Amino acid sequence: MNSISQRYTHANNNSVMNEIDSARSETSGNHQLELAPSIQLPPISQPTDFLRAHTDDASNPDCKIKIAHGTTTLAFRFQGGIVVAVDSRATQGNWIASQTVNKVIRINPFLLGTMAGGAADCQYWETWLGTQCRLHELREKERISVAAASKILGNLVYQYKGMGLSMGTMICGYTKKEGPALYYVDSDGTRLKGEMFCVGSGQTFAYGVLDSAYKWDLTIEEALYLGKRSILAATHRDAYSGGSINLYHVAESGWTYHGNYNVGDIFYDIKEKEQSFNNVDG
Amino acid sequence: MNHDPFLWGRPSNDTYGAYNHAIAQASVQEATHDQLDQFPKKHTQQPIITGTSVIALKYKDGIIMAADTMGSYGSLMRFNNIERLFRVGKETVVGISGDISDMQQLHRILNELETDEEVYDNDGGHNLRAPHVHEYLTRILYNRRSKMDPLWNAVLVGGFNDDGSPFLKYVDLLGVAYGSSTLATGFGNHLAIPLLRQLIPNDTDYVNVTEEQAKKVVMDCMRVLFYRDARSFDKFSMVTIKDGGKGFDFEKNIKIDNQSWRFARDIKGYGSKQE
Amino acid sequence: MNATVASEYSAEVHSVPIEHRFNPYSDNGGTVLGIAGEDFAVLAGDTRQVVGYSINSRYEPKIFDVGDDIVMTANGFAADGAALIDRFRNQLKWYKFDHGGKKLSIKSAARYIQHLLYGKRFFPYYVSTLIAGLDDEGKGAVYSYDPVGSYEREQCRAGGAAASLIMPFLDNQVNFKNQYEPGTDGKKKKELRYLTLPEVLDLVKDAFSSATERHIQVGDGLEILIVTKEGIRTEYHPLKRD
Repeated sequence: MNSISQRYTHANNNSVMNEIDSARSETSGNHQLELAPSIQLPPISQPTDFLRAHTDDASNPDCKIKIAHGTTTLAFRFQGGIVVAVDSRATQGNWIASQTVNKVIRINPFLLGTMAGGAADCQYWETWLGTQCRLHELREKERISVAAASKILGNLVYQYKGMGLSMGTMICGYTKKEGPALYYVDSDGTRLKGEMFCVGSGQTFAYGVLDSAYKWDLTIEEALYLGKRSILAATHRDAYSGGSINLYHVAESGWTYHGNYNVGDIFYDIKEKEQSFNNVDG
Repeated sequence: MNHDPFLWGRPSNDTYGAYNHAIAQASVQEATHDQLDQFPKKHTQQPIITGTSVIALKYKDGIIMAADTMGSYGSLMRFNNIERLFRVGKETVVGISGDISDMQQLHRILNELETDEEVYDNDGGHNLRAPHVHEYLTRILYNRRSKMDPLWNAVLVGGFNDDGSPFLKYVDLLGVAYGSSTLATGFGNHLAIPLLRQLIPNDTDYVNVTEEQAKKVVMDCMRVLFYRDARSFDKFSMVTIKDGGKGFDFEKNIKIDNQSWRFARDIKGYGSKQE
Repeated sequence: MNATVASEYSAEVHSVPIEHRFNPYSDNGGTVLGIAGEDFAVLAGDTRQVVGYSINSRYEPKIFDVGDDIVMTANGFAADGAALIDRFRNQLKWYKFDHGGKKLSIKSAARYIQHLLYGKRFFPYYVSTLIAGLDDEGKGAVYSYDPVGSYEREQCRAGGAAASLIMPFLDNQVNFKNQYEPGTDGKKKKELRYLTLPEVLDLVKDAFSSATERHIQVGDGLEILIVTKEGIRTEYHPLKRD
């Protein structure tokens, strides 16, 4: 971390004019209009320890700054394209910050990104990815491949590795040369192509349901139901997941939205119809 | 990143090392010398020579501010003649507590500001007033805290708004600013504020307070502070600004009068008298 | 151990960084609340500012008209909040200079504030931010943020010290959560509808007087900024001062 601290440590000789100049530059600068994002670091020797000390509410529930975290998301490939299903709960410690989070980020009409981990990290960088994809289109006169798009994001988060970003995301899209393509990208820099991913604290519960009923030949309707049912299982057993379920289908013509399902509303309907969740009365 | 479902998405100790409680608790609890190793390093200072409370209040004609003249080095009375109230421009007073060397840096900055605004800047009758001085100090202190290199002070600014109404605001080393009709820094926040708020219960009640009443309560506050604040002194300065800045009265070397230490006779325990 | 006394001039090496224990954050308490209606939006906050158990001020406004019929607040660490709002105001001014006085839509303002917050991702502003105004169709809008800039448009949101006291009340009274039509045995949900401005103002006053009863950092005064197509107006109501 020393190189980073050196870069951001100010050689300060404490002269009066220095003081005044720095106060002035704060108000007169127009830095934010630059296209490339620049992110300030705490000007000390251990910026990452500092950030973690003040924001990691899992290690220290008393820490002041609680960053919103997102939780169960899944996506899988099948014969009819890709199904994406996510919950909508954001938690800050034990506090449910929101039950209405939109965890699918519409990067463009052919690309979706999911959100797990730090809500701001995902929202910010996937929106940023949207601008990079548009620039690619303008330069290359063709849509970006899912592989390339996910790699842009993967490279970006790898630059910040060890700094404290937290994101587990799936980039889902459809291009002519790739067909339906699904990539998992996380803030450690991992980037994996795959058939099926569940990401977040409720991932294990979602995998359990998904694995037991998944097959390649699912119809679109069956696949959407399976996605929804897997997230429902996760919201039932994982306290950090809940709210409602958002469903998407990705195919050759781009993605389509298949609605928002409140967990409280659909739980008993599904229980009755499937004769499942027999551990619950009513 | 931790992939364990319960801690999903959080920083893992393998990558980041153990969570450092000392940083989150910095300045909340007293650290031991060993713990100091765990704090982020930065060229900065801690308060060395310090000045204690500054108190101030609004009254119907203007504002009054007072501060004693001692500079302490820990528990040592190192200096007894440090002036901590400063006149800035024609009608503004700035009172500074906390580190004395940082106070002197702030004083130099304020002098520079005064020269810039009052000598070189011909802006057609726009005078340097207390709100401007306060905003300026807020920016400077917030900038320094954001560099993790704070000026270790709490500052009161008193004077007048453009419309002639009294102005009184606070700002500290974090850049936290607020206004009130009764203000005090440091120990004064606990000892003087109750006395001041007794005279001015609501922020707008200062319009009923006369100069005599205000000066009496200031004297009472300074006396109470001297009784119970071990870093305070019985000699202080007081600034009275009234009538939109036309009267600027800087009184120095005021002794705290009417002291009565009879209350001390009844204090038992803490080593004074064992029974 | 008193660090002041321990410093000895002879032993001090000035080229090596000195350890220190400076915490750049504090918590100044207070609570804020935003509700959007069909053709209006309100942002309300108490006027008490505290640090620890001390009341700094009984009237320190923290909700501001930042221009272009947008009201904004950033509650938490007061210095960060003030700095964030100052930066936004400043940029809004530059936006107007650069674009011939064009009005900034609340949608764009919301996205811009995300960038301001995320720009300090590794040294965050310790604030919960809310903005309120009218959207392009004239409908009320409230946007809420976490400290590092994830944001969402909502019907209502409470932030700050007593958010956990007020937000469940709002879920029930604004979004009618867990409210059902009488006589339907919990089968039929109460239909969602926009609240009128007087209803919303009553809710806000109830929310704050209740929070004042149960939270030490809330009280003294309630300031409400109301945005309608006519512009912005302010209401003040006293709260308990204990």
